[in-house]
Amino acid sequence: MTPSRTAFAAILAKDLRAELRTLQSLPAMALFAVSSYVIFRFGLNHSHLSGSLASGVLWVTLLFAAVLGINRLFVAEREEGGFDAIRLAPIDRSVLFTAKVAALIVYLAVLELIAVPIFALFFLNSAAALPPLIIVLVLADIGLAATGTLISSMAVNSRARDLLVPLVLLPLVIPLMIAATAATEPLMLLGGVSYHRFGTWLMVLGLYDLIFALLGYAVFDFLLED
Amino acid sequence: MYGKGLRPLSIATVVMWAITLSLVFFYAPIEADQGFLQKIFYLHVPLAIIALCGYVIGGIFAVLHLRRDDPRWDAYSYVSIHISVIFTVGGLLTGAIWAKGSWGHWWVWNEPTLVSFLIVFLLYATYYPFRYAIEDRQRQARYASVFAITAGAFVPLNFLAVRASASLVHPRVFATAEGGLPTSMLVTFLCALVSMGLLWATLVKFELSAKSAQGQLKRLRRALDAPVGPPSSRIAPEVH
Amino acid sequence: MFHLLLAADPSVPNDIGGKYVAGAYVVFIVLLLIYVAIMAMKLARIEKGLGEVAEIAEARKEAAPAEPTESEAPAATTHTVTPGPAASGATAQETRP
Repeated sequence: MTPSRTAFAAILAKDLRAELRTLQSLPAMALFAVSSYVIFRFGLNHSHLSGSLASGVLWVTLLFAAVLGINRLFVAEREEGGFDAIRLAPIDRSVLFTAKVAALIVYLAVLELIAVPIFALFFLNSAAALPPLIIVLVLADIGLAATGTLISSMAVNSRARDLLVPLVLLPLVIPLMIAATAATEPLMLLGGVSYHRFGTWLMVLGLYDLIFALLGYAVFDFLLED
Repeated sequence: MYGKGLRPLSIATVVMWAITLSLVFFYAPIEADQGFLQKIFYLHVPLAIIALCGYVIGGIFAVLHLRRDDPRWDAYSYVSIHISVIFTVGGLLTGAIWAKGSWGHWWVWNEPTLVSFLIVFLLYATYYPFRYAIEDRQRQARYASVFAITAGAFVPLNFLAVRASASLVHPRVFATAEGGLPTSMLVTFLCALVSMGLLWATLVKFELSAKSAQGQLKRLRRALDAPVGPPSSRIAPEVH
Repeated sequence: MFHLLLAADPSVPNDIGGKYVAGAYVVFIVLLLIYVAIMAMKLARIEKGLGEVAEIAEARKEAAPAEPTESEAPAATTHTVTPGPAASGATAQETRP
């Protein structure tokens, strides 16, 4: 039985290598984010954002860009027979879950490395919000990746799979979005960075991450059954 | 045999409801703050509580389905969620009526319980298109169970998040449940809760019984080599 | 006690409150009745299906011991006799309303 760590590293490396070679998700996600910013600028008729509006625009854009990546997460597995390979391999099947979550976290991190500074450039007065934002992004990414991987693995085996992910995922990540936007809002106030209830919201995010990561890990085996 | 306990259960439901409604309109006092409008409380809150319990029960049935691999548990899970969704609609509508009477608006965003309830409804509403999208029956059942478990875990987390986001400045609309209820109201409320729970159980059993009858009919048709006809539904699990 | 509570000024006048309360209970009843109606339609379909299956079973039962050449008379009599006592459910329905 191959140890899980080796299997995890192998699957993660394969995914990242494939994405690097084909670049099918990341450029689309980044471009989508930037285009959304422009649309928000005109849709809201605001050239500068602060507080709750800034927080909302940022997180909504990141969420929808993430959905693009989540939609494509298991497509290669489905088309190239990756699921069968995992079933046959002498590994713990939940490793596929953890590896895919890790891959998705990497994609989201790269997306945010591009999209968040551009957001600050377009809409914010100062970049002071960005350093504390990093911890919020990290926690939100983990939760988004866990839930996204779970839903994506089910959606890929269905009809209308592109519709299923946004449909089911969006209500599920509402608590995550509530916490993320509420934590970000005081960071982007016009008067300066504030940490109002920052700890509370980070705890809610952490709780969400814990619950859905454990849940996904626990049920993934049943999803791979033939 | 799902119809077995159905008669005593439905009789108990009717009796409890008769008692509850009498208590609500002839025994429970008029509340000082909200007046007669407060009587909606005895309908709205039990609807909400029982619906949420129903979702959790649906999640438990889903766990049992995955562990025992017996399709009956999937049917129980499906029906539990189905009835709970109907109760949720009832909860949202009565909540809106109460909000309109109290605040003049059909919907209020600053009532965290109502908002979380809406989000829970949105999530469970996706249960049906989700099941419909998966063609293979066994896989559909398995995935649906995963959904029910995930959604069940989601409910408390969602309430926590929405509660935390509610501004503490806004007074809660439905604060009646917060402060100590006078005994007469508490008794009435508990009766209403029990009645609603019995109603939920009756409807679940009722629906399972109907599904079972359909399943038996199909068995009969197959045994006689008679034309089976088109499947009644692509998503509702069959019960035998 | 009751009168004291009534005397305290309620935020919503009792007659308007009454309409909302009635509305809420009406919504509840209507939802319940819609559910009952849907289940009734299901039951009707099951009943129809059972009737068809009963006919098929009866037809098979008669056809099995009969001669290879089935004459019209016995077939006609069985056809008129069987729906009577066998479908007692149907007759019960006729007598009830």
